[in-house]
Amino acid sequence: MDWQLVWDSFPLIWKGAQFTITLTAWSLLFGTAGALVLALMRLSSVKLLRWFAAGFGWLFRGIPLLILLFFAFFALPDLNVGPVDGVLLEPFQAAVLALSFWTAAYQAEVIRSGIIAVDPGQAEASEALGMTKAHYMRKIIIPQGLRIMVPPYIGNSMTLLKQTSLTTLVTVPEMTLLTQRLFSNDFQFQERIAALAILYLALTTVFVVAQQVMERSFRLKV
Amino acid sequence: MREFDWSVIGRSGDLLMAGTRLTVGLFLAALVLATALGLILALMRLSPVRPLRWFAGTYIWIMRGIPVFVTLLFAFFVARDLPGFGWLTPIWAGVIGLGIDGAAYKAEIIRAGIMAVDHGQHEASEALGMTKAHYMRRIIIPQSIRVIVPTYMSNSILLLKATSVAVGIGLVELTGITRQLSNSTFRPIELFTAAAFIYLVLTTVLVLLQEFLERRFALKT
Repeated sequence: MDWQLVWDSFPLIWKGAQFTITLTAWSLLFGTAGALVLALMRLSSVKLLRWFAAGFGWLFRGIPLLILLFFAFFALPDLNVGPVDGVLLEPFQAAVLALSFWTAAYQAEVIRSGIIAVDPGQAEASEALGMTKAHYMRKIIIPQGLRIMVPPYIGNSMTLLKQTSLTTLVTVPEMTLLTQRLFSNDFQFQERIAALAILYLALTTVFVVAQQVMERSFRLKV
Repeated sequence: MREFDWSVIGRSGDLLMAGTRLTVGLFLAALVLATALGLILALMRLSPVRPLRWFAGTYIWIMRGIPVFVTLLFAFFVARDLPGFGWLTPIWAGVIGLGIDGAAYKAEIIRAGIMAVDHGQHEASEALGMTKAHYMRRIIIPQSIRVIVPTYMSNSILLLKATSVAVGIGLVELTGITRQLSNSTFRPIELFTAAAFIYLVLTTVLVLLQEFLERRFALKT
């Protein structure tokens, strides 16, 4: 293995990191917002909302992300329902759309399990104090649930970052696509793929460290 | 205005089934490899020998830190050039890539299961004069299965879905065949919906199997 070539690959591949990182950031933003809504729907007293959220989770956790990506990129331009006549998305937009739906489905489970893990006595006490449900969810239950949600939330976010590599297949020029372009020109598979793996490892290790820091800062002080 | 034409699925039925067979085959072969390697890695991480612990820890850190797609690229483009790997066809590269990636997750699941067994069980086995190899096999691992089953199964569902990534190294499994069919028939909506439906059936079967196994291994009190 030619380590000089590995070293020289870093700046070339790193150009794709802006896509890897912005894809992760946007999908995490939209996905988390969707997940919060879905989690509250799952916990709602209205049966229809509960069913919708459960169906959404079953659907988007049961289908591979790659199928979602291909659907957003290849099938949406053909979609013809009512006033919609073809949704043509840029590769990056299609990727954010698919990744956001996928993130929402997984993070909804994290948020829901965090909320139900909070002692039901807290909700009862809040009600006894005359708080409305919207009020005590926001001020009492969700802040306590956060401590439980943080580790799996960050774990899922790290998975999301790794999954952005699949957007190569819908032609988003992120790190994996740039690497494939490099090694299809010079056939230096070992060095190029090693450089790519090292860059991913560096990015995901940031999440592992963030997870440890957050867990420490959220620990109960007794 | 385009009308849906669902008959394309009937006409593509044989090819979709062939793709599904390859998906299931990849999944089962990768699952066997991941479980066997995962068990070895878990035992290494729990070993008193430091280099073994260190090796397994590093392996798991690397494999969990890089995307499965990159592992597949490695298995496909790099491993086949290594001496003694002339037999590595694209399908085997897929199995090995998915298997060595999955092993890191299985290892952590198995390790957590083994550690969840009450420590008194180790002490009692030793007090009865059993060797470590003997009581791990007969006492500890059987008890850890109950803890392992739920996470093992949900991780296996992820592995099933990860087989779709093999399209990135040119395997024509369910996702690959669907993409090809969609390019040749210009019916992406119908075909990707059909593929999504097949994946949902497969993952739902695994969910039902998980519920069955959890009941089967539940403590009878």
